[in-house]
Amino acid sequence: MAVLLCAITAIGGSAATFEELAAQAAAARRGNHLPDAIELYRQAVQARPSWVEGWWFLGTLSYAAYRYADGEAAFDEFVKLDDKRALAWSLLGLCEFETGNYERALDHLRRGLALGKDLPPEVETGVRFHYGLLLTRAGLFDRAKRELDRYALGGAHEPMLISGLGLNALHQPMLPKDVPAERQDAVMQAGTAARFWILSENDHAESVLQELVKQYPALAGVHYFYGTYLSYTRPEEAMAEFRRELEIDSADADAGAMLALLLVHANDIAGAAPFARKAATERPADALAEYVYGEVLLGTGDLRPAIARLEAAERLDPEALEYHMGLATAYSRAGRREDARRERRISMNMATAVGDARAAENQ
Amino acid sequence: MMLCRKHVACAWLAAVACLRAAPPPAAKAACGTCHRAEAQAQPKTAMGIGIELPPDQEPLEQHPHLTMEANGYSYKVERKNGISTYTVSDSMGTLSLPIRYAFGVHNLTFVLEYEGNFYESLVTYYEKTAALGITLGDDRIRPHNLTEAMGRKTSDQEITSCFNCHGTGGVTQGKLTLGSLKPGLNCEHCHTGADAHMQAAASGKPAPVPRKLGEMAAEEMSNYCGECHRTWESVVGLRLFGEKNVRFQPYRLANSQCFLGDDKRISCTACHNPHADLVRDESSYDRACLACHSTKTGAAAAGAMQKPCPVADKDCVSCHMPKVQVPGGPTMFTDHEIRVVHAGDPYPQ
Repeated sequence: MAVLLCAITAIGGSAATFEELAAQAAAARRGNHLPDAIELYRQAVQARPSWVEGWWFLGTLSYAAYRYADGEAAFDEFVKLDDKRALAWSLLGLCEFETGNYERALDHLRRGLALGKDLPPEVETGVRFHYGLLLTRAGLFDRAKRELDRYALGGAHEPMLISGLGLNALHQPMLPKDVPAERQDAVMQAGTAARFWILSENDHAESVLQELVKQYPALAGVHYFYGTYLSYTRPEEAMAEFRRELEIDSADADAGAMLALLLVHANDIAGAAPFARKAATERPADALAEYVYGEVLLGTGDLRPAIARLEAAERLDPEALEYHMGLATAYSRAGRREDARRERRISMNMATAVGDARAAENQ
Repeated sequence: MMLCRKHVACAWLAAVACLRAAPPPAAKAACGTCHRAEAQAQPKTAMGIGIELPPDQEPLEQHPHLTMEANGYSYKVERKNGISTYTVSDSMGTLSLPIRYAFGVHNLTFVLEYEGNFYESLVTYYEKTAALGITLGDDRIRPHNLTEAMGRKTSDQEITSCFNCHGTGGVTQGKLTLGSLKPGLNCEHCHTGADAHMQAAASGKPAPVPRKLGEMAAEEMSNYCGECHRTWESVVGLRLFGEKNVRFQPYRLANSQCFLGDDKRISCTACHNPHADLVRDESSYDRACLACHSTKTGAAAAGAMQKPCPVADKDCVSCHMPKVQVPGGPTMFTDHEIRVVHAGDPYPQ
């Protein structure tokens, strides 16, 4: 190794040509001499900054060597030269996650996934997991949950996932590493319950949830989480939990929105309206709040504003099936036949795709 | 939390059924003072009957000894002295339970109580074959013991939904109250406010009039009736695709090319009178089709703008609403997805 490095230095000192550097970098890479290969690629791309392949290998080798800042810089250059590679955007995002550039990481992982039909499945899984953590940190809990659920359904159960699931379930916008010590236990309990729930082990989920509520009755998010769980099967009890959450934090727009949604389902539109309106007012760019208020307005027959709200929800979270379904209903009631048919078709395609994915996971 | 809300949407049927306030049964006779025809006819309809309790259970009276073998288990439904019994046995033993609730009118699926839980019987009495058969939707179940062979254990929300849609007074504020269960749907069940209206009228006070449900356009009515017959959203949310969803008429209808959500001419009640039994004469539905479509000769009802059928002016549903057999059962259902059907076309999901 030392000999090789000396040779590199010597080559550098004698102004090796780009071709020589590239060849030596490739040889070092093939020989699995990671630090040497990184150094050679670094010199090569300095010599020729337009060398796309060089940036690629510099990025991937740096990532493999846990040199995330170097990887971030390399992939940043790579995507300037070729912005069509899902894996490059994804690896850039993963490097940024590690260096703490969270906003950029979120954006770049999103771009990677958007392009990512060719992402290797094992890479996509990891990307989605980190994306889910970042979405949780950004307070986009619903979208985050879809990503984290996928990861959990794949059988993962490492502490960072459990913590991520817990933060998501409790609607705590932070990363697992930032959880204060005094909240660690509650977050892990919530994550454990969430994982059981995702795996349809509902008896276990409920048991952990009841313990969580017992131990942390005043912790923000606990009653919200239990309420969402109960929404499946015991909507009356779920509403009581959301009301308890609102007692802890009357400004909790999520709890208000969920309470309103259950009231809408119970045909209590008048009861739902104040909660839905408040949630939509306090969280103007929140998909759930927009959706629920849209459903309330649909219930009161105010079709035009209902459609505007539902369209806003769909724009904010286009992957949410129920927003498309809600829009289909609203368009249909308004006589917008083609729009309704389009939304019905989208909804059915989404539902089928999810069903297929679940079937594949079960096999 | 998206997963939850998704499932809330999926469990919409159950949630709505449970939470819709189930008030005490209204006195049909009192409603009948003014609404005589409806009050007389509706209790005799399938919706008016809903559940056959032990004194009734007419099909079992007519067929007092029904047997069947399935999955290595023997089933027996017997009727003696006005009491029906459901028995399942294998080489290891026998499980015998009284049939207290026979759901349905023509086909009877039994809700059984065992060790504090409710079970949907794994076999159903089918009118078409006058015999027992596997309950619709349960054809993939492979029981491992007598209890599983007896029936499918139901969740709380499922069973409350069953009783709420088939009876009156059996669910109050989301909880089962079977002591006050009356078979079938009474006036108040659909016409919210009917009781208050009737009581106010009876005491000579100004009577608030319940909403006239016939004013609903198609989409709203589909969602209303879909609370029990399943809405388009609930079927999609639960991903109930394939022939099995032919039973869920609001879903099928909404997928029709001619479905107009803001038009009453394609609503449930445009074809069906909920106060009367289902009409099986296919030609009787022609008037509903011709409310929108002109005839071949160009004759058209007012507002009938849609193109005529090039083949026929009558028995529209015989071609455009084919009968579909649900997998695993003998019963045929009319597919409410109205369309031009070509031979060999796959079933639209």
